[in-house]
Amino acid sequence: MTTVSGFVSSDAEKHAAHTPPTGLRRYLFATNHKDIGTLYLCFAIMAGVIGSLLSIAIRAELMSPGMHVFPVISAIMSGDGSDGAARNLYNVFFSAHALVMIFFMVMPAMMGGFGNWFVPLMIGAPDMAFPRLNNLSFWLLVASFCMLVSSMFVEGSPGMNGFGGGWVLYPPFSSTMGTPGPAGDFIILSLHLAGASSIVGAINFIATIFNMRAPGMTLFRMPLFVWSVLATAFLLLLALPVLAGALTMLLTDRNFHTSFFDPAGGGDPLLFQHLFWFFGHPEVYILILPGFGMISQIVSTFSRKPVFGYMGMVLAMLTICALGFVVWAHHMFVTGIPLAEQEFFVITTMAIAVPTGVKVFSWIATMWGGSIAMRPPMLWAIGFIFVFTVGGVTGVVLANASLDRQLHDTYYVVAHFHFTMSLGAVFSIFAGFYYWFPKMTGYLYNERLAKLHFWLTFAGINIVFLPQHFLGFAGMPRRQVDYADAFTLWNFVSSIGAFIAGIGTLVFLYLLYEAFAAKRVAAANPWGEGATTLEWTLPSPPPFHQFETPPAIRFDGAGAAVAEGGH
Amino acid sequence: MDALATRRNRTLALASVGAAVGMLGFAYAAATFYSAFCRAFGLYGATQVASKGSESVGGRTLTVLFDANVAPGLDWRLEPETASLKLRTGKTATVYFRAQNLSGQPLAANALFNVTPEISGPWFDKIQCFCFQEQRLGPHESAEWPVVFFLDPKLETDASMAGVEAITLSYTLFAARDDARSTQ
Repeated sequence: MTTVSGFVSSDAEKHAAHTPPTGLRRYLFATNHKDIGTLYLCFAIMAGVIGSLLSIAIRAELMSPGMHVFPVISAIMSGDGSDGAARNLYNVFFSAHALVMIFFMVMPAMMGGFGNWFVPLMIGAPDMAFPRLNNLSFWLLVASFCMLVSSMFVEGSPGMNGFGGGWVLYPPFSSTMGTPGPAGDFIILSLHLAGASSIVGAINFIATIFNMRAPGMTLFRMPLFVWSVLATAFLLLLALPVLAGALTMLLTDRNFHTSFFDPAGGGDPLLFQHLFWFFGHPEVYILILPGFGMISQIVSTFSRKPVFGYMGMVLAMLTICALGFVVWAHHMFVTGIPLAEQEFFVITTMAIAVPTGVKVFSWIATMWGGSIAMRPPMLWAIGFIFVFTVGGVTGVVLANASLDRQLHDTYYVVAHFHFTMSLGAVFSIFAGFYYWFPKMTGYLYNERLAKLHFWLTFAGINIVFLPQHFLGFAGMPRRQVDYADAFTLWNFVSSIGAFIAGIGTLVFLYLLYEAFAAKRVAAANPWGEGATTLEWTLPSPPPFHQFETPPAIRFDGAGAAVAEGGH
Repeated sequence: MDALATRRNRTLALASVGAAVGMLGFAYAAATFYSAFCRAFGLYGATQVASKGSESVGGRTLTVLFDANVAPGLDWRLEPETASLKLRTGKTATVYFRAQNLSGQPLAANALFNVTPEISGPWFDKIQCFCFQEQRLGPHESAEWPVVFFLDPKLETDASMAGVEAITLSYTLFAARDDARSTQ
């Protein structure tokens, strides 16, 4: 540890001459991986708040049968409070909710935020391989988000604003037949930009992780979070171009008279579904894999044990990646695919439960016999393991083609993917946030507030989504603004949960304010001996530049990484 | 960063860009081969094309229903001469579809088709069909188009066809692309 503080001071001297740019220039022209990571995290928090507001509007509407909330919102937004405009706006809201949460909250937080911040630190690299490309990634995402927001205010379906076809953008609704207006083009171009941003980011991570590791940091000594980012980068690189292709076909169908998805010209709308889900299923692993990595770090830190079955964890992630590309048609069981195809996709889908199970059991085995400290990051991590397992089990239910005929497009599916995404992915993000907040900012947060945030969110979000399983089994279809009276009770309960979780978000925002206002200075390693990765050997916050000449990494008997020399 | 590291980063980045471009190409290749793939394997109710009738006659008799539609934007009428018929597997049947151009100008149209349940696609063989090529009708002209087809007796060996008693053959006429644009 003494060597570390030694080269930090030399680092400070070295860079006294060129201090980081200040003000707007520092962030607008940012090439420093930590600055870009901070930008991504701020962006993700902003998008997360917007996405949550959209979902609270949806839950407020669904609190009781009939139309109450959206006619009012519609009247405010476009001056048209009619029934048709309100129904359209509801569709626009749930579509935007999905896109904002997937592309502008979870992905930027996990890959852009934590990935940028901690991959270079954990492998002993001075920065990302392509710092300028990194800047491009971030600002492309901002442009993409602006296009998404713009789409809500221009015409989509005749006489209506915005695109209401869900995040899946199936034609013919997304073609000129359903959405002749420019809102459809805005959405497509927004996703093109978000895809380009992620592909550029993925290339950066691949180059960084393969080429910039410090001596001694071999591939199979990398922290599991770095492995999870590497696996995710490959998923992004191989899956997003397929989405880009499908979207380009849709765009040319809409504007240049091609007919990839138009039966009149020999195309087939179902082709879009195949292409979309060939991207879409790897995409859901993109949303969760970095979370797996973070949970591994956190469970190990707060159990004060190396993670159980390191090699099994790595192979499980790679297996999930590979299987993720051969399960896509399980989203399409009701489109009339042949029996043999259904059998194939049922089997591959169920097979994913095996590597996922390896991960869950390895986390539990890591905790087993450990000296567990129930600090806020650990609470969120254990919460993650619980809700993700629930979401995974309902996923195995849905994998059955025969059951899926009944459950397809019901609230059971909504409950399933929110248990993995809204609870799983989001819990891992908050676990990571509370784990690394002292490192990133140099300040300690109020742990009581963090625990309050956890319990409000955990209770609230379970109350939201657990009853939706019942609604789904009872046959309530998703994506509908109104419902039969029989579904009233559990919809009411679900909405109450959303408000509780909403209060949790307010607690989180207050916690941020309180931490920055109170300025409790954090030590280099606030978590004690369990935190063994390289970022904890640097001061909090780390210097603007670190590991300028690669340090030699040595692993002590307890598996802790120690950086020697360098700078 | 030294020159070697920069070069290695460049190489890896270019290889990654290559992989991404390759996947983009894969998406377009998938679009190109998709309909050929569906036709070859009778997926999604794509039917088969035969040059002559079945050599053997099977034991099952199924109901074949006929459905005809005209897509919006094409001022035509299309209807089958009969709503359904009973057909023994292996026997060839001929059904006429009556079409009429209701507009005052010559128009061309293409018929798209499938059979439901979709799993019967591989066993539904057409020998002659108006859907094989573009059809043209003059102003207010009428025509009777034959469809000659049979059910492959081998469907009796397909376990998933065991519960299928009726097959619906459905057509939708779409305006040929060039005509659709000129009348817009």
